[in-house]
Amino acid sequence: MTDVTFPEMSTEDHHATGVVATWYAADGEQVAEGQLIAEVQMDKVDAEVIAPSAGTITLLVAEGEEVVQGTVIARITQDRSGV
Amino acid sequence: MSTTAPTTGSTPVRRLNTSKAMAEAIAQEMRADPEVIYLGEDVGRYGGIFGSTTGLLDEFGPTRIIDTPISETAFIGLGIGAAVEGMRPIVELMFADFLGVCLDQIYNHMAKIHFESGGNVTVPMVLTTAVGGGYSDGAQHSQCLWGTFGHLPGMKVVVPSTPADAKGLMTAAIRDDGPVVYMFHKGVMGLAWMAKNQRSIGVVPEGEHVVPIGTAAVAHQGADVTVVTLGLSVHHALDVAEKLAGEGIGVEVIDLRSVVPLDRETIIASVARTGRLVVVDEDYLSYGLSGEVIASVVEADPGLLTVAPRRVAMPDIPIPYSHVLEYAALPRPEKIEAAIREVLR
Repeated sequence: MTDVTFPEMSTEDHHATGVVATWYAADGEQVAEGQLIAEVQMDKVDAEVIAPSAGTITLLVAEGEEVVQGTVIARITQDRSGV
Repeated sequence: MSTTAPTTGSTPVRRLNTSKAMAEAIAQEMRADPEVIYLGEDVGRYGGIFGSTTGLLDEFGPTRIIDTPISETAFIGLGIGAAVEGMRPIVELMFADFLGVCLDQIYNHMAKIHFESGGNVTVPMVLTTAVGGGYSDGAQHSQCLWGTFGHLPGMKVVVPSTPADAKGLMTAAIRDDGPVVYMFHKGVMGLAWMAKNQRSIGVVPEGEHVVPIGTAAVAHQGADVTVVTLGLSVHHALDVAEKLAGEGIGVEVIDLRSVVPLDRETIIASVARTGRLVVVDEDYLSYGLSGEVIASVVEADPGLLTVAPRRVAMPDIPIPYSHVLEYAALPRPEKIEAAIREVLR
């Protein structure tokens, strides 16, 4: 299982918050390693979130929800069967 | 959640928003053809104010992704010259509203050189431009104006509404040997800072993807009424079609995708099945696309329509800045639904 965290976009404030602006993957979907899965925003700056591994994704944060950077926003489960 | 239903199989699906799909098509064509360049205001370091060129400067550098001074006449003229000499420039007019300051280059030169040279000189150029309202940008930054471009002969005009079509039409536009005006509605780009809608995110083919210019798409099938539209209004029409399907009303939504050439065959074939026509156009009501669509049907066969057609379009007024007034003027879903119910009475 791989955690997907909100990117560390602020180096000055480790507790800075941002929002998941767009999910490009749906809950329970298969994702490929390197695939675009989300766009996040902090202080009007956008960043892309890329899947660190392949597997089934579970979304833990709703679109538009404000979270502290570093928060786990999704998990990817590697399933050996591929189903 | 902004995405469509999960896939059940084990194959990952790759989604993009419309701006990323557009940039992907440009990048793929630039890799394949060194004559393709992109120029305009804030298209380089900024990445395009609506994300149309995000990431391209990093890959292709400032000799192919060119930030220009604020002189649309000068840099569109530069693009025309480059095209005449055999390059395939993509030139961005930041807002279609700005065509007033550079119209001579567009309609007297870009659009007419092929004709005036007796067909000996081609102008393989793409003019990209942002259109549309809905976010309080006022009367000089919210117009669609595809009717104006479509009225002037010599240019093809395309208006994608989905990420996949944005990629496919961009590829087709770059490869076209004549001038193509590529009008992207700001409301379909899927930008986080704009009012988003779920239809701005979609599955986009990763490899080469071409949507032929001049072909409309049946975005939703239905037997009772034909809604002909384009751009952001396609998204609204689909929302209405899905709602009315729950009441047993079949709404066929035609996404024109191209204004020039206009796919009259697809429009006429649909109206022949439904007998009822609603045209939804975010451009101005009078002397424009909505009238052209209706004329195309009536000229083909005045008996196709069983009831009078209806138009839902921008009234003939400068677009208000006030959010409330702007929404009152725009072809919002409530107006589309009311027009559909009217032709079904």
